[in-house]
Amino acid sequence: MMYSYIKPRKKSLFTPEMQLLSIFFGITIFMLLGTYLFLLFKDYRFTQDRSEIIELREATSMEIDLIQKSIISIEEEKVLSETVFTKNTVLKDSIANMFDLVPQRITLSEAKLLENGLVLYGVTPNKDIYNFMLQAPLRSIFHRTYSSFYPAENGWLHFVSTNYVDKEEEIIMKPIDEETQEDDAKEEIEDEE
Amino acid sequence: MFTKLYERLYVKVLVSIITGYKKTTVYIEILNKSGILNSYEEEFDTKYVSIEMYEYIMSYTKETPYFYISILDSSPSQGAIGTCSKHKVGYFEDLSASEYKCYKDRWTYYTAKTDVYAIEKVYEKIGVDFIFSPFVLLANFFKDKIDTHLAMFILIQEGSLALSVFNKSELLYANYLDMEIEIASDELLIDDNDIAQIEKEMQESIDLDDIASLDDLDEIDDNFGDIADLDSIDELDDFDEAKDIEEELAENEDMQDYSTRNTESINEDYKRFSLIQSAVNIFYKDEKFESEFIENVYIGDGVGVSGDLKKYLEEEMFLNVYVRHVDLASELCAITKMDLA
Repeated sequence: MMYSYIKPRKKSLFTPEMQLLSIFFGITIFMLLGTYLFLLFKDYRFTQDRSEIIELREATSMEIDLIQKSIISIEEEKVLSETVFTKNTVLKDSIANMFDLVPQRITLSEAKLLENGLVLYGVTPNKDIYNFMLQAPLRSIFHRTYSSFYPAENGWLHFVSTNYVDKEEEIIMKPIDEETQEDDAKEEIEDEE
Repeated sequence: MFTKLYERLYVKVLVSIITGYKKTTVYIEILNKSGILNSYEEEFDTKYVSIEMYEYIMSYTKETPYFYISILDSSPSQGAIGTCSKHKVGYFEDLSASEYKCYKDRWTYYTAKTDVYAIEKVYEKIGVDFIFSPFVLLANFFKDKIDTHLAMFILIQEGSLALSVFNKSELLYANYLDMEIEIASDELLIDDNDIAQIEKEMQESIDLDDIASLDDLDEIDDNFGDIADLDSIDELDDFDEAKDIEEELAENEDMQDYSTRNTESINEDYKRFSLIQSAVNIFYKDEKFESEFIENVYIGDGVGVSGDLKKYLEEEMFLNVYVRHVDLASELCAITKMDLA
């Protein structure tokens, strides 16, 4: 039955006051939800970043380990090279000193640098020259010196001088030993010339 | 489904507004699922929505979203036509600019669309849910009589009358009579001298109560040549039988209560009588309407008319008049409930 000229307005629970309340609560809930989602996202990103940073830290620490290892190795190499360089310098000086010891009248035909000693082969005009001019300085350097002579064709004397240093000096002489073979070869070439 | 649930949770507030000349009656009924909780009525000295009236209505309607505001249409351009056929309606009235509805597929009631818009505009602040025609209210109020009687039914409001003639629920004639318009025309204003003259005329006219015997009839016959229509005792008996005894008894009880409230001036009642008389003349004379002889008049009195109106109608128009007091606001509320159901 409908007797009215007009239709009644639609009745709703959403009165203006209710609409205002709904909007207020809606916005509040939306903001809370938004904040919650934002925090959730930030937490997720933080966790992700943290795991990335942990991985990066691990990789970096591994790299640091490698670098430290290589630093140690380089330092060792450096120490070794310095040692070698020092030894070579000492050797060079020793060789230079050795040649300085040999007087002009004596001719060396061969020199052997041993671990703890020096063996010289050469020709001397006579024993006296050898004894005074070569053996005397050798004795001041080495602890033990042995000499042997045999005559050469031209009347001069071939000599073999074997000189040893006692164990205290062995450490100093060690690096020199490594170069002994090469030096012998060089001496032989020079003598031949 | 949820709407039904919410409706059960909240109370319903029905606001009925009846507008008069200068005052507006607001009737509020608060309902819950078990029935009426409370009802309140207040009168405001305004024809429109005053601040007091707005606050009064809002104080009840703000409690629930389910409130309905009903207004009884009091616009002058309304009426009713005794047919629902769209083809026949045009014969009686041009309804192109009117809002109209059919009542139980029997008759049509209408009002001007502009008046509906005007009502909606006036009550814009509080809103309007229902606008009812006074003819609907009349039909519902007298439905026990309309269905079984041939009679004129009149609803008296402050400043207007809704007049209709029904023959066993078939509407023969209807007219909405606005007293304000008549006042503006200034034709019906009468002074004390006029009232005295009218009373004198009435004393000289036929009083059916005095016709108790054949002797009286003869006496009347001597004075009035045109009384030949009532030329036999049998017809007189028929005329008496047409009286609604039950309604008369009810009316007597009602009138006893009502006599104290009878504050309307004779001037207003005479205006009403004149309007009814002219409407009845139109009904009888206009060929558009199927004329039937009206013997009984049922008046739904919404304002508290004096006994003078009844006297005028009985003595001047030889009608059996039955006056029933009607509380327009609560009747409007009842129609609202019917519409909501």
